[in-house]
Amino acid sequence: MELVCLGLNHETAPVEVREHFAVAADALGEKAREIIELSTIAESVVLSTCNRMEIYVAAEHADYGAKILNEHLASSHSEVAMEHLYQKTGDEAKLHLFRLVCGLDSMVLGETEIFGQVKQAYQQALASGATKGVLNKLFQKSFSVGKRIRTHTSIQKGQTSVGSVAVDLAAKIFGNLKGSHVMVIGAGEMSRQVARSMLSRGATDLTVTNRTNQRAVELAEELGGEAVPFDCWEGTLATADVIVSSTGASEPVLTASQIEAVRRKRKYRPLFLIDIAVPRDIEAAVGEIDEVYLYDIDKLQQLASEARESRAQQVRICEEMIQEEIKP
Amino acid sequence: MDIWMLIIATILAAAAAVQGASYVHRGVRSRWTMVWMLLSFMAQLVLLGMRGEMRGACPLGDTGEAMIFSAWSLTLLYLMVGSVFRLSLLGVFTAPLVAFLLAVALIPGMLDPNPPHVDHIDPWGESHAAFSVLAYGALGLAAVAGMMFLALNRRLKDADMQNGLFKNLPPVRELNRVVMRLLVLGFSILTLGIICGLMMERAETLSTHLIVAVFQWLAYAVLLFIEWRRGMPPRKLSLAAVILFILSLLIFPLL
Repeated sequence: MELVCLGLNHETAPVEVREHFAVAADALGEKAREIIELSTIAESVVLSTCNRMEIYVAAEHADYGAKILNEHLASSHSEVAMEHLYQKTGDEAKLHLFRLVCGLDSMVLGETEIFGQVKQAYQQALASGATKGVLNKLFQKSFSVGKRIRTHTSIQKGQTSVGSVAVDLAAKIFGNLKGSHVMVIGAGEMSRQVARSMLSRGATDLTVTNRTNQRAVELAEELGGEAVPFDCWEGTLATADVIVSSTGASEPVLTASQIEAVRRKRKYRPLFLIDIAVPRDIEAAVGEIDEVYLYDIDKLQQLASEARESRAQQVRICEEMIQEEIKP
Repeated sequence: MDIWMLIIATILAAAAAVQGASYVHRGVRSRWTMVWMLLSFMAQLVLLGMRGEMRGACPLGDTGEAMIFSAWSLTLLYLMVGSVFRLSLLGVFTAPLVAFLLAVALIPGMLDPNPPHVDHIDPWGESHAAFSVLAYGALGLAAVAGMMFLALNRRLKDADMQNGLFKNLPPVRELNRVVMRLLVLGFSILTLGIICGLMMERAETLSTHLIVAVFQWLAYAVLLFIEWRRGMPPRKLSLAAVILFILSLLIFPLL
């Protein structure tokens, strides 16, 4: 029996093509069963996620099996759509599955969701009787490789964009952001993104201020927060947990003396400051205050770049571990 | 026989410390620290049982026993608090301290090989000793959580996120709450210990003991009062928890 994998993903096909090939989550077993009725194909597993559709089959002869599978798909899809398919056989298909389960082939490197999706696809195929010895052994092996990779590497850890680094830092300071108050100074695109991320992680109160009040009102409405005029935003300093600042001001908007004035009122609660403006909005001396954690755009970019390097290193370790597993 | 049990307890705590540290260095969580600590705790329990049997009283008759009892209370509180506050990493920081206390008890002369059997027991005195050592456990754990806070605080201020320790440490806000809760718990138990100490039969020579203990109690009381009344930056609270515990350890021989 030889192994064949035929499929397409977010790198090889645009979303409109992927939509055509998508299989409903509860029909994966049925589809796998349909495929083993084709000539020469003995076993099959069908995987379908928002980013990919792949069919794994065990056939008498890889080339002939792939030809039959291509013909089967071509009967229901256009020639243009078929051009987006990739085909892998033997160890190449095996390697592809292992990398996939480990999250190395995902849009978000190291994501864990794909592991569960592959498991679900396999279980449906197994339940519908579409798998036997070859694919059972292959998929079970892939799950053990996936678990091993997650236990022994930190491939899924570390954020690689400025916005997600800020969210990670917030989680390290506050844990759950539930009940936290986010203050946005300046209604730029970057601060909008960071504020949105904070809200998605549980922050409940949002205050926006901007020199042009109308933009503050618009952003506050969009994010479900409250706008305050630029000349009285300091009043919210005592209640804020996170402040994102990105104004076009040439002088600091937030100074150490302003924070010092409200420290006691805040009962020395931690304050997370994200300064994404150039020139900087927040005086550097603010970062020296005990309970204040200040990050400017350079620091955030440096952290994102370190995370990218670390992840690249983890990818290399993962690839080596997978190669070890592939060896006969 | 008791010395062998002490060696076993020390080795198990040291194993927890070494293994926990190596896991943290790799940025991976390990449940084994808790297992090693649980085994060490059981060995300490057997050891204290043996010493209690030999003395016919609470085994706090010499410095060695006091060290073992302190290590035991620290381990007990870690096993209780570590899981309640979901602070598995607390073990990685607690284990070296437990191993250190047990190792000190191993130094020749610390543990009386043939302790005298006590004929008369004063229940207030026994309670005073037991509560005081338990309070040491809680206050020691507060210091450990304080050290964890200080380590994380430094990493955050230096923007050093790649370190394995950074990845595993609980958030700042959570650590600060744990330090505070442990200080309150330790202080409450210490208060009970002091009350029992005031009730116990005392000889004149013990007055230094009482004065030192009351000063120690007052120091923690002032710290908690300031925190309650006007608040305190988390770093200062953690630093105070660590310094007060170190001072308590230093004055231990006087108690």
